[in-house]
Amino acid sequence: MAEATTRAKIQRFGSYLSGMIMPNIGAFIAWGLITALFIPDGWFPNEKLATLVGPMITYLLPLLIGFTGGRLVYDFRGGVLGAIATMGVIVGAEIPMFLGAMIMGPLAGFAMKLVDGGFQHRIRPGFEMLYNNFSAGILGAFLAGISVYFVGPLVNALTNALASGVEVIVSMGLLPLASIIIEPAKILFLNNAINHGILSPLGVEQAASAGKSVLFLLESNPGPGLGILLAFSVFGKGISKSSAPGAAIIQFLGGIHEIYFPYVLMRPMLLLAVIAGGISGVFTFTLFNAGLVATPSPGSIFALMALTPPGNYPGVILGVVIAAAVSFAIASVVLKTSKAEEEEDLTAAANRMQEMKGKKSDATGYLTPQPAAGVIGDTSEKNLASDNTQAVQSAPVRSAHEIKKVVFACDAGMGSSAMGASLLRNKFKKAQIDIPVSNTAINQIPEDADVVVTHKDLTDRAKAKLPQAEHISVENFMNSPEYDKLAQRLKDQGE
Amino acid sequence: MAKPVLSKENIKLNVAIPNKNEAIRYTGDILVQGGYVDAGYIEKMYEREQMATTYMGNYLAIPHGTEDAKQNVLETGISVVTVPNGVDFGDGNIAKILIGIAGKGDEHLGILSNIAIVCSEEENIDKILNATSEEEIMELFSEVQ
Repeated sequence: MAEATTRAKIQRFGSYLSGMIMPNIGAFIAWGLITALFIPDGWFPNEKLATLVGPMITYLLPLLIGFTGGRLVYDFRGGVLGAIATMGVIVGAEIPMFLGAMIMGPLAGFAMKLVDGGFQHRIRPGFEMLYNNFSAGILGAFLAGISVYFVGPLVNALTNALASGVEVIVSMGLLPLASIIIEPAKILFLNNAINHGILSPLGVEQAASAGKSVLFLLESNPGPGLGILLAFSVFGKGISKSSAPGAAIIQFLGGIHEIYFPYVLMRPMLLLAVIAGGISGVFTFTLFNAGLVATPSPGSIFALMALTPPGNYPGVILGVVIAAAVSFAIASVVLKTSKAEEEEDLTAAANRMQEMKGKKSDATGYLTPQPAAGVIGDTSEKNLASDNTQAVQSAPVRSAHEIKKVVFACDAGMGSSAMGASLLRNKFKKAQIDIPVSNTAINQIPEDADVVVTHKDLTDRAKAKLPQAEHISVENFMNSPEYDKLAQRLKDQGE
Repeated sequence: MAKPVLSKENIKLNVAIPNKNEAIRYTGDILVQGGYVDAGYIEKMYEREQMATTYMGNYLAIPHGTEDAKQNVLETGISVVTVPNGVDFGDGNIAKILIGIAGKGDEHLGILSNIAIVCSEEENIDKILNATSEEEIMELFSEVQ
């Protein structure tokens, strides 16, 4: 039992990470395309368009991640706080702060949730708006301010530690082992200090005397990342699968390695794959005594080829290919073993308008197998049950905040649904649940409805219309126990 | 000139109605008489009842037309009929309060919402059934807001 819970926790954590990253993959790809095409070393250098590159990776992507992370914890309000706090991390550090965003986003959302929990019920009617805006503003300013001061030194310390680690390894001549530090450092954007601070200067020295250096290949080898993306292309599912081939092109041909970072971030086990890929690549390079004449930038296969001195092609190419193959093999195993649960998420998530919502409800889904759209009469029980069996911390990110819209539906939308909706609205009001309840004809159930309530005779039609929503079937519209059940559930989890 | 959704003329108290079909016809007739719907609407009310009962619980039934019956609705309106002896709406459901509904837009939703909230309390059901005048009903249904 304890094992199962730990496993569930880890899975939850994994799907949580992917919940922050996946919805934003589009932004990563947009950035990757612009970078690969328009930077000075790109395919169509364009100074004007290249000015997008820096701000996008420094601000846009971390802010999106921070927002999404906050939103996972505490809905839109949490998202806003997440973005504010992430801004502090961005300003405090000099590197793109994906990791910082992934930490501060949810943390800020959680902080807002705590503050609201302590204050919101004491706010007098009429002052809610004032409270809502100022509490978020004050807390956000505070968190952003703190981040500015704490993150910079933290990042610097980490970078220095990593850099000295690499320095030791290089000086001891254990080059392949440098990948153990370099590959994870890349994912955290801490690679530049290593690459430009240590590897490049040493490499330039070597190249000056020997005409080439293997050190230029350590960080720039596109093989490990390619392996990850290929593994996603084959064994991934949903968005991660469909976006991976395009990302592979941007990464391998365009040399924009950052594009595969989110794929690794959402499944940290994949670090093993890139590390092993890196090690085997470097090992191959040293075996063939291969090197480059200068630092390839960006780390595209074309740049690598262009900087390969005559006679070194077999070693360089083989090193890249082997790195990709090893990384692919391990990544495939990682993806396949954890596939049954989480991968399912992403597919389902892709089908939904709201990414996070889908992921979370499926996170419930795999723990308590249930049809895509269960009748809530019993699923609500199951959900509650699974809440209890899971980690306590799992409760905050679920259900209550997924449910943003409850819709009562009947055939014409003129009678029963209107009455049911007003009853439920009344119940919500009494329970201080701030979720809109509307009524409609079944044919016009809005796509974004999270819970659809219908008379038991009409539930099947409603399900056919909007299968992904949660469906509640009621018999007695005037006095259904389901109303109280739903209100109770939302209240419990919304607190 | 828009008619009031609910007027005194739309309320009939202490009516004896033998069965469900009569109940639907009776509530529908009030709407036809009041000029809220054309005669074809009643057919659609039967049709709707076939699809799923309009019995809501708490002795309340709300006969109304199907979605495509909206073309038969001239004005939005509701009728209220109290049947202290009850009408069998099937499945052992006895309706004592009948609310006929003809909805075109959303004007009736406010009052319908009041009806729902009022009727969700059992003691209010008794109040309605014991009402002696149409005004009482009008008052009951308009007081919550």
